[in-house]
Amino acid sequence: MANVKIDNVIKRYGSLQVMHGVNVDIEDGEFVVLVGPSGCGKSTLLRMLAGLEEISEGTVSIGDKVVNDILPKERDIAMVFQSYALYPHKTVYDNIAFPLKMAKRPAAEIEQKVTNAAEILDLTKYLKRYPKELSGGQRQRVAMGRAIVRDPQVFLFDEPLSNLDAKLRVTMRVEIKELHQRLGTTIVYVTHDQIEAMTMADKIVVMRDGRVEQIGSPLDLYDNPGNVFVAGFIGSPSMNFVHGKIEVKDGKKAFVSDGGLTLPLPETTAAEGQSVTYGIRPEHIQIGDTGVKMQVVVVEPTGSETQIFAKAGNDLIDALVKDRVMAKPRSEIGFIIDPKDVHLFDRKTEKRI
Amino acid sequence: MQSNRLGWILLAPTLTILFFFGVLPFIYVVYVSFHSWNPFAANPEMIFNGADNFRRIVFDEEFLNSVGVTVMFVFFAVLSELILGYILAQAFMKDFPGKSFFRTIHTLPLIMAPIIVGSVWKLMTTPSIGIIPHYLDEWFGISMNIGTSAFAAFTTIVIMDIWHWTPLVTLTLIAALVSLPPDPFEQAQIDGANKRQIFWHITLPMIAPAVVATVFIRLMDALRTVDEVWMLTGGGPGSSTRFVGVHIFKEVFPKTNYGYGSTISVIVLYLTIVACWLLYVTMLAPRNSKEG
Ligand SMILES: Nc1ncnc2c1ncn2[C@@H]1O[C@H](COP(=O)(O)OP(=O)(O)OP(=O)(O)O)[C@@H](O)[C@H]1O
Ligand SMILES: [Mg+2]
Repeated sequence: MANVKIDNVIKRYGSLQVMHGVNVDIEDGEFVVLVGPSGCGKSTLLRMLAGLEEISEGTVSIGDKVVNDILPKERDIAMVFQSYALYPHKTVYDNIAFPLKMAKRPAAEIEQKVTNAAEILDLTKYLKRYPKELSGGQRQRVAMGRAIVRDPQVFLFDEPLSNLDAKLRVTMRVEIKELHQRLGTTIVYVTHDQIEAMTMADKIVVMRDGRVEQIGSPLDLYDNPGNVFVAGFIGSPSMNFVHGKIEVKDGKKAFVSDGGLTLPLPETTAAEGQSVTYGIRPEHIQIGDTGVKMQVVVVEPTGSETQIFAKAGNDLIDALVKDRVMAKPRSEIGFIIDPKDVHLFDRKTEKRI
Repeated sequence: MQSNRLGWILLAPTLTILFFFGVLPFIYVVYVSFHSWNPFAANPEMIFNGADNFRRIVFDEEFLNSVGVTVMFVFFAVLSELILGYILAQAFMKDFPGKSFFRTIHTLPLIMAPIIVGSVWKLMTTPSIGIIPHYLDEWFGISMNIGTSAFAAFTTIVIMDIWHWTPLVTLTLIAALVSLPPDPFEQAQIDGANKRQIFWHITLPMIAPAVVATVFIRLMDALRTVDEVWMLTGGGPGSSTRFVGVHIFKEVFPKTNYGYGSTISVIVLYLTIVACWLLYVTMLAPRNSKEG
């Protein structure tokens, strides 16, 4: 077990710079999730932690030891690749046993650890099979098995669940979380699925275009997104954004959208006339007869919840409510917004006000 | 089965040609191998003599010797070609200036006819004319005479074969290496394998099919090497480079022992098949049947 420190890391491929000074501190035993849209550099960062990718500038330390020039095999890390990277010519047993065999562990210990891992991952029946005879989920579990027999300093997971169906993904999510609670080993987990990030992480690192946008606990990111990107990325369905200006009406500050829609505003330091982006999460909107008058566009019931898309002028806002709503398209509906749930961002810098 | 019949019709020309030029001659050779037939002997007729030829072959010291020499030749040549070919293939996997130039140059031996290779090497190794004995003598004080030294003749042939055929091995191994997925190798590094372990546990098993195929091709080729050796040493000195191919050639052409020559051919074919089968069984079959 160890802490991990990523200090001002820059990555270039030739003249192309894809990572622009990334700083992340990971504490011992922490479950850290890297999220961000495709191509933002999550895998690259993970591969630099693993030692598979050279670090152009900056340092990576594992357990207070700079590992920039240390080979992957000496970093004492276990990694699960997005593609599983099983050894196609080895059986499930030999795949899982491989790291132990390389470390020249005694045969009895190998046998015991592999059997144990297979039991945890429900792979006992498949130990004699070859990877190509397994389903995607089983392969994923083999890759996990190969990682957990190791007892490494740090686990690295690169979108390990992205190839699984929705149901299996939920099961595996719980299993990984359980694994972490049992072993207490530091985990760095990459995903582009923000639900995975929210449910599993102690700490989320949101990345975009080779930069860290924000680091924080899941609820912290949800409650206090630092900018428009994080606000839109964290939470599902994603936050509503309305562009507009701060105006003063009756001596009080108010938000008026470009389309002329007035929305409730909390106490704010935003100046009069400032161009802002107004954010409100769909699940924070109540519906009723009062509130902001909107026209229903589409109603999407999912059984447990109902999502209502409504517009006023050019501004489209959706609300997510627990009740079953039978609103007709084009009928009028009231969106009730509690000012304390509103997020305000500067329109130019996109930073939180 | 319309499509099936069309398939047979389309295959018919090839099958016909194969039948007349492949299957018939083969059957004919097997047929001849059960006869004594020497058109220039007192009795030029083809006389059926049952398994006499086969009985004779078992006690034919010259033949047994030629098998021994061939096996040794195949072993040294193919093993060296594999090792050298693999090293070259790995080198060509990396980027270095002039890479495609070197890759082209290094395949040139492949397009040379064996008879020419034999002639060139003969020129290079003939004592007092050849460049190789000359420099061996000048630099190391070693005198090399492939006309009198069995060791020199045998070694020269092995080296000639390596020179001629390593590029083929390199090319097939490059093809195999290029097609390997990168992840298992990265995974193996993370799993703590060093370079040697990665080679034995990952690279070799993953390119094994290509290696075996290459060995098959080289094995079959090496077993019937005639022209280069004929040009270079004529099978000598003594019988030190009298490979089975050369042996058959001598039996059939100068001696016109068609019957016995055919018998040796059939036996050599049989031995080749057995060798390939053994190789297949040991290298690939266990995995295939399990991977099933
Ligand atoms: N070998 C390479 N050469 C040049 N650019 C590369 C190379 N590998 C990755 N990149 C670039 O680096 C950036 C980050 O890639 P990376 O694979 O880390 O993205 P990611 O966040 O893992 O995306 P995804 O969610 O799709 O897996 C991308 O813009 C990609 O084009
Ligand atoms: Mg990736």
